[in-house]
Amino acid sequence: MCSSGVIQNYALFGAAAQMRYTEPVATLDADVLVAVPQPDKLDVLGDIYAFCAARGYPQEGEAIRVGAWPTQFVPVFTPLTREAMEQAETADFDGVPFRVVRAVYLAVIALSVGRAKDLTRILSLLESGSVTRQEIGLLAARHGLSDAWRQFEARFPNE
Amino acid sequence: MSEIQALLERQARWQKLRRELPWPEKIQMAERIRESVRQLRAARKADPAEHPLHRPA
Repeated sequence: MCSSGVIQNYALFGAAAQMRYTEPVATLDADVLVAVPQPDKLDVLGDIYAFCAARGYPQEGEAIRVGAWPTQFVPVFTPLTREAMEQAETADFDGVPFRVVRAVYLAVIALSVGRAKDLTRILSLLESGSVTRQEIGLLAARHGLSDAWRQFEARFPNE
Repeated sequence: MSEIQALLERQARWQKLRRELPWPEKIQMAERIRESVRQLRAARKADPAEHPLHRPA
Protein backbone atom coordinates (compact mmCIF):
# COMPACT_ATOMS: atom_id res chain seq x y z
CA MET A 1 0.00 0.00 0.00
CA CYS A 2 2.93 2.30 0.72
CA SER A 3 4.78 1.45 -2.48
CA SER A 4 1.64 2.03 -4.56
CA GLY A 5 1.21 5.47 -3.00
CA VAL A 6 -2.17 4.80 -1.40
CA ILE A 7 -0.63 5.63 1.97
CA GLN A 8 2.63 7.33 2.81
CA ASN A 9 3.30 5.63 6.12
CA TYR A 10 1.59 3.47 8.73
CA ALA A 11 1.95 1.98 12.19
CA LEU A 12 -0.14 -0.42 14.22
CA PHE A 13 -1.47 1.05 17.47
CA GLY A 14 -4.18 0.27 20.03
CA ALA A 15 -4.58 -3.05 21.82
CA ALA A 16 -2.83 -5.18 19.19
CA ALA A 17 0.26 -2.98 19.52
CA GLN A 18 -0.02 -2.92 23.30
CA MET A 19 0.30 -6.72 23.33
CA ARG A 20 3.92 -6.45 22.24
CA TYR A 21 4.60 -5.30 25.77
CA THR A 22 1.83 -6.64 27.99
CA GLU A 23 -0.22 -9.73 28.56
CA PRO A 24 -2.76 -10.57 25.82
CA VAL A 25 -5.90 -8.44 26.09
CA ALA A 26 -9.38 -8.78 24.68
CA THR A 27 -9.89 -6.66 21.59
CA LEU A 28 -12.28 -6.74 18.68
CA ASP A 29 -10.17 -5.16 15.98
CA ALA A 30 -6.77 -3.96 14.90
CA ASP A 31 -6.08 -0.22 14.58
CA VAL A 32 -3.60 1.18 12.11
CA LEU A 33 -2.50 4.81 11.94
CA VAL A 34 -1.97 5.92 8.36
CA ALA A 35 -0.67 9.01 6.62
CA VAL A 36 -2.54 9.58 3.36
CA PRO A 37 -1.40 11.73 0.44
CA GLN A 38 -4.54 13.91 0.52
CA PRO A 39 -5.71 14.18 4.13
CA ASP A 40 -8.24 16.92 3.31
CA LYS A 41 -10.12 14.78 0.81
CA LEU A 42 -13.78 14.22 1.73
CA ASP A 43 -13.60 10.42 1.49
CA VAL A 44 -10.18 10.22 3.08
CA LEU A 45 -10.15 6.40 3.35
CA GLY A 46 -11.76 5.72 -0.03
CA ASP A 47 -8.50 4.87 -1.80
CA ILE A 48 -7.50 2.47 0.97
CA TYR A 49 -10.84 0.66 0.81
CA ALA A 50 -10.64 0.47 -2.99
CA PHE A 51 -7.07 -0.83 -2.86
CA CYS A 52 -8.04 -3.54 -0.37
CA ALA A 53 -11.23 -4.51 -2.19
CA ALA A 54 -9.29 -4.97 -5.43
CA ARG A 55 -7.08 -7.47 -3.60
CA GLY A 56 -9.88 -9.44 -2.01
CA TYR A 57 -10.02 -7.76 1.39
CA PRO A 58 -13.65 -6.80 1.94
CA GLN A 59 -14.92 -3.77 3.82
CA GLU A 60 -16.93 -4.55 6.97
CA GLY A 61 -18.53 -1.42 8.34
CA GLU A 62 -15.69 0.92 9.22
CA ALA A 63 -13.05 -1.79 8.89
CA ILE A 64 -11.32 -4.03 6.37
CA ARG A 65 -11.15 -7.70 7.22
CA VAL A 66 -7.56 -8.92 7.10
CA GLY A 67 -7.47 -12.59 8.04
CA ALA A 68 -9.20 -12.90 11.39
CA TRP A 69 -9.00 -9.19 12.14
CA PRO A 70 -11.33 -6.35 11.26
CA THR A 71 -8.73 -3.65 10.69
CA GLN A 72 -9.52 0.02 11.13
CA PHE A 73 -7.38 2.55 9.32
CA VAL A 74 -7.18 5.82 11.21
CA PRO A 75 -5.62 8.82 9.47
CA VAL A 76 -3.13 10.58 11.76
CA PHE A 77 -5.32 13.20 13.39
CA THR A 78 -3.01 15.11 15.73
CA PRO A 79 0.68 16.01 15.96
CA LEU A 80 0.90 13.29 18.65
CA THR A 81 -0.45 10.52 16.41
CA ARG A 82 1.69 11.70 13.49
CA GLU A 83 4.80 11.59 15.66
CA ALA A 84 3.77 8.18 17.05
CA MET A 85 3.52 6.82 13.52
CA GLU A 86 6.79 8.39 12.39
CA GLN A 87 8.68 7.14 15.46
CA ALA A 88 7.26 3.60 15.24
CA GLU A 89 9.53 0.59 15.49
CA THR A 90 9.68 -2.16 12.93
CA ALA A 91 8.74 -5.36 14.72
CA ASP A 92 8.89 -8.91 13.47
CA PHE A 93 5.54 -10.66 13.20
CA ASP A 94 6.26 -14.28 12.29
CA GLY A 95 8.91 -13.18 9.84
CA VAL A 96 6.96 -10.23 8.47
CA PRO A 97 8.30 -6.76 9.31
CA PHE A 98 5.56 -4.58 10.73
CA ARG A 99 5.65 -0.98 11.98
CA VAL A 100 4.32 -0.70 15.52
CA VAL A 101 3.85 2.38 17.71
CA ARG A 102 6.27 2.50 20.67
CA ALA A 103 5.09 1.94 24.22
CA VAL A 104 5.45 5.55 25.35
CA TYR A 105 3.35 6.80 22.44
CA LEU A 106 0.72 4.11 23.08
CA ALA A 107 0.53 5.35 26.65
CA VAL A 108 0.23 9.04 25.75
CA ILE A 109 -2.31 8.39 22.98
CA ALA A 110 -4.31 6.45 25.59
CA LEU A 111 -3.94 9.39 27.97
CA SER A 112 -5.27 11.75 25.31
CA VAL A 113 -8.35 9.59 24.77
CA GLY A 114 -8.90 9.01 28.48
CA ARG A 115 -11.59 6.31 28.62
CA ALA A 116 -11.42 3.73 31.40
CA LYS A 117 -9.91 1.14 29.06
CA ASP A 118 -7.29 3.65 27.96
CA LEU A 119 -6.25 4.32 31.55
CA THR A 120 -6.05 0.54 32.04
CA ARG A 121 -3.75 0.41 29.03
CA ILE A 122 -1.41 2.95 30.62
CA LEU A 123 -1.33 0.94 33.85
CA SER A 124 -0.59 -2.27 31.93
CA LEU A 125 2.24 -0.64 30.01
CA LEU A 126 3.71 0.76 33.22
CA GLU A 127 3.44 -2.62 34.93
CA SER A 128 5.17 -4.30 31.99
CA GLY A 129 8.20 -2.04 32.51
CA SER A 130 8.16 -1.03 28.83
CA VAL A 131 7.73 2.63 29.76
CA THR A 132 8.29 4.81 32.83
CA ARG A 133 6.13 7.49 34.40
CA GLN A 134 8.85 10.00 33.64
CA GLU A 135 8.87 9.13 29.92
CA ILE A 136 5.09 9.44 29.74
CA GLY A 137 5.16 12.73 31.65
CA LEU A 138 7.75 14.25 29.31
CA LEU A 139 5.95 13.22 26.12
CA ALA A 140 2.58 14.26 27.56
CA ALA A 141 4.00 17.70 28.38
CA ARG A 142 5.30 18.10 24.83
CA HIS A 143 1.79 17.48 23.51
CA GLY A 144 -0.16 19.66 25.93
CA LEU A 145 -1.33 16.78 28.10
CA SER A 146 0.31 17.73 31.38
CA ASP A 147 -3.02 18.25 33.14
CA ALA A 148 -4.31 14.88 32.00
CA TRP A 149 -1.09 13.26 33.19
CA ARG A 150 -1.28 14.98 36.58
CA GLN A 151 -4.85 13.74 36.97
CA PHE A 152 -3.74 10.22 36.09
CA GLU A 153 -0.91 10.35 38.63
CA ALA A 154 -3.25 11.65 41.31
CA ARG A 155 -5.71 8.86 40.60
CA PHE A 156 -3.09 6.12 40.26
CA PRO A 157 -0.12 7.14 42.41
CA ASN A 158 3.16 5.30 42.01
CA GLU A 159 3.43 2.63 44.71
CA MET B 1 -0.23 -16.13 54.46
CA SER B 2 -3.51 -17.89 53.79
CA GLU B 3 -3.76 -20.66 51.21
CA ILE B 4 -6.07 -18.50 49.13
CA GLN B 5 -3.60 -15.62 49.18
CA ALA B 6 -0.80 -17.95 48.07
CA LEU B 7 -3.00 -19.35 45.31
CA LEU B 8 -3.87 -15.87 44.05
CA GLU B 9 -0.24 -14.85 44.06
CA ARG B 10 0.74 -17.99 42.13
CA GLN B 11 -1.98 -17.24 39.58
CA ALA B 12 -0.83 -13.64 39.25
CA ARG B 13 2.77 -14.78 38.66
CA TRP B 14 1.58 -17.29 36.07
CA GLN B 15 -0.50 -14.65 34.29
CA LYS B 16 2.44 -12.25 34.23
CA LEU B 17 4.56 -14.91 32.53
CA ARG B 18 2.31 -14.51 29.50
CA ARG B 19 3.77 -11.04 29.09
CA GLU B 20 7.03 -12.69 28.05
CA LEU B 21 5.46 -14.71 25.23
CA PRO B 22 6.31 -13.76 21.63
CA TRP B 23 4.02 -11.07 20.21
CA PRO B 24 2.47 -13.31 17.48
CA GLU B 25 1.55 -15.86 20.14
CA LYS B 26 -0.15 -13.17 22.22
CA ILE B 27 -2.09 -12.00 19.16
CA GLN B 28 -3.26 -15.58 18.58
CA MET B 29 -4.39 -15.75 22.23
CA ALA B 30 -6.33 -12.52 21.71
CA GLU B 31 -7.99 -14.10 18.66
CA ARG B 32 -9.10 -17.04 20.82
CA ILE B 33 -10.42 -14.66 23.50
CA ARG B 34 -12.39 -12.79 20.84
CA GLU B 35 -13.84 -16.02 19.43
CA SER B 36 -14.96 -17.05 22.92
CA VAL B 37 -16.64 -13.69 23.44
CA ARG B 38 -18.33 -13.99 20.05
CA GLN B 39 -19.70 -17.43 20.90
CA LEU B 40 -20.96 -16.28 24.29
CA ARG B 41 -22.72 -13.33 22.69
CA ALA B 42 -24.20 -15.52 19.96
CA ALA B 43 -25.50 -18.01 22.53
CA ARG B 44 -27.10 -15.25 24.56
CA LYS B 45 -28.70 -13.76 21.47
CA ALA B 46 -30.05 -17.13 20.28
CA ASP B 47 -31.80 -17.99 23.52
CA PRO B 48 -31.23 -15.64 26.47
CA ALA B 49 -33.00 -17.95 28.93
CA GLU B 50 -30.71 -20.86 28.08
CA HIS B 51 -27.52 -18.86 28.31
CA PRO B 52 -25.22 -20.15 31.08
CA LEU B 53 -24.69 -16.63 32.39
CA HIS B 54 -28.39 -15.84 32.43
CA ARG B 55 -29.65 -14.92 35.89
CA PRO B 56 -33.36 -14.21 36.17
CA ALA B 57 -34.13 -11.05 38.14
